[in-house]
Amino acid sequence: MTQLSTRRFLQTSGLVLAGFILAACGKKADAPAPAAEPASAAASVAAAPPPPPAKVYVVGTDAAYAPFESQNDKGEIVGFDIDVVSAIAQKGGFEVKFINTPWEGIFNTLTQGDRDLVVSAVTITEERKQTMDFSTPYFDAYQLIAVKTNSKVTKFSDLKKLKVGVQNGTTGDEVVTKLQGKSSANIKRFESTPLALKELEAGGVDAVVADNGVIVNYVANNSNNQFKTVTDKEFAPEQYGIAFKKGNTELVEKFSKGLADIKADGTYDSIYKKYFGEAPAAAAAAPASAASN
Amino acid sequence: MDLRWEILAGYGPLFVAGLWMTVKLTFVSITCGMVLGVLLGLVSSSRDAPPPRSVPLGWALKALRAVTTAYVTFFRGTPLFVQILLVHFALMPTLIHADHGLLYSGEGAREFRQNYGAFFSGALALTLNAGAYISEIFRAGIQSIHTGQTQAGYSLGFTHGQTMRYIVLPQAFRRMLPALVNEGVTLIKDSSLVSAIGLAELALAARTVAGAYSRYWEPYLLISVMYLVLTMLLSLLAKRLEAPAHRRGK
Repeated sequence: MTQLSTRRFLQTSGLVLAGFILAACGKKADAPAPAAEPASAAASVAAAPPPPPAKVYVVGTDAAYAPFESQNDKGEIVGFDIDVVSAIAQKGGFEVKFINTPWEGIFNTLTQGDRDLVVSAVTITEERKQTMDFSTPYFDAYQLIAVKTNSKVTKFSDLKKLKVGVQNGTTGDEVVTKLQGKSSANIKRFESTPLALKELEAGGVDAVVADNGVIVNYVANNSNNQFKTVTDKEFAPEQYGIAFKKGNTELVEKFSKGLADIKADGTYDSIYKKYFGEAPAAAAAAPASAASN
Repeated sequence: MDLRWEILAGYGPLFVAGLWMTVKLTFVSITCGMVLGVLLGLVSSSRDAPPPRSVPLGWALKALRAVTTAYVTFFRGTPLFVQILLVHFALMPTLIHADHGLLYSGEGAREFRQNYGAFFSGALALTLNAGAYISEIFRAGIQSIHTGQTQAGYSLGFTHGQTMRYIVLPQAFRRMLPALVNEGVTLIKDSSLVSAIGLAELALAARTVAGAYSRYWEPYLLISVMYLVLTMLLSLLAKRLEAPAHRRGK
């Protein structure tokens, strides 16, 4: 009896395995591993031995948003945001601990007290300011439209009647919702921007609207997918800030001061250069020039 | 706790469309899953049946059983959430793609993906998952009928098919019913996982509101009630299928 069922078990698992191998063989020529490359060298800033720590701040971040935050093959959270906050912490003589937190509900973790701060490419908006506090801005961003190379989309209003992929609850979601209306069935909301871009690749949506840094990074890592990007003067310039629980003025000032310090001593510029290949001043001019095409 | 129900107002149509989508999705998946489950259940319970007289047919049935077992093992042993992502972002783009679909490509494929892609993938994943569970419910139901019943059928001169149809299945179905209703209820609830691939069903409507306002009580309470109504309606319908006590031999 036992022998028989063992045999059956072995047969079954053999078949399942064979199925997996077949599936793997059939699907060889597909996309290269996305993202992660620019982030792999990231830990260097955090690696220097910190002075004796006074307090460990818990930082929430949605690590599916390369190059701002992502997880490398060792499971470490790396990226531009991570390096900036680590540098601020090092400067200020305290410690930070990053915890991967899903974007949906990430701001709730601040009010609940689960996280002391959130750094996750968070755009500072008036609505968000009502429920939380922000540090001084640390990054200039703007919305980009990603479309297939053969697409006829040249401006934002072209998306009025098209199927658009966004990450749920992001500023990209907000602008598209404003364009198409709150109950539009043409907006397809995904948990992460890479998933939305994956859907664009598969032809499920006509366009994706999201923050420039992420789209540029994805397009660079998946050049064979023949995406192009379009921007529009209609998109208001945005700025990323570090988010804190409403009323936590002490911490806001601590991080804003730290940010000013690392900007003054050049640390910020070198982090920026590491991820975006150019100094912040040069990049700041980018939206204007990009808007012209 | 201050509840601001008015934030839901602007999203009314989204919730109505979402509810309708959830109903459609679960209806299609339950129906297709039932057909698939019955077929697979008959295959896997054929192990105890007398083997067919022709040798090649016997081998074919054996192969079919092996495939069925592998299928059931996979779909019962992996999370539905993973299956949904696998179907939508890996399987479907391989089969149906505007540029390089194995089954279907070209402009039509793009149109299909845009208009029905998420629904199709979601329904397919739910159907495959439900099929695996229902086949096991079916097999268990058939095997729960004492072999004496089957043997009695044979000795009356019934073929295996007739024995199943007239003697085993009618008794087995009564025992399967509660498990089948349970599976249906599970399916209605699990359809919320399909929101991960952007299908505008009930859960995604709530997630949209939560994403826009960072408020969680109002949207999720609302859809909880809506799911509850759906599952209770299903149980109520199923109650009518149950035999009255005097026919259950009490």
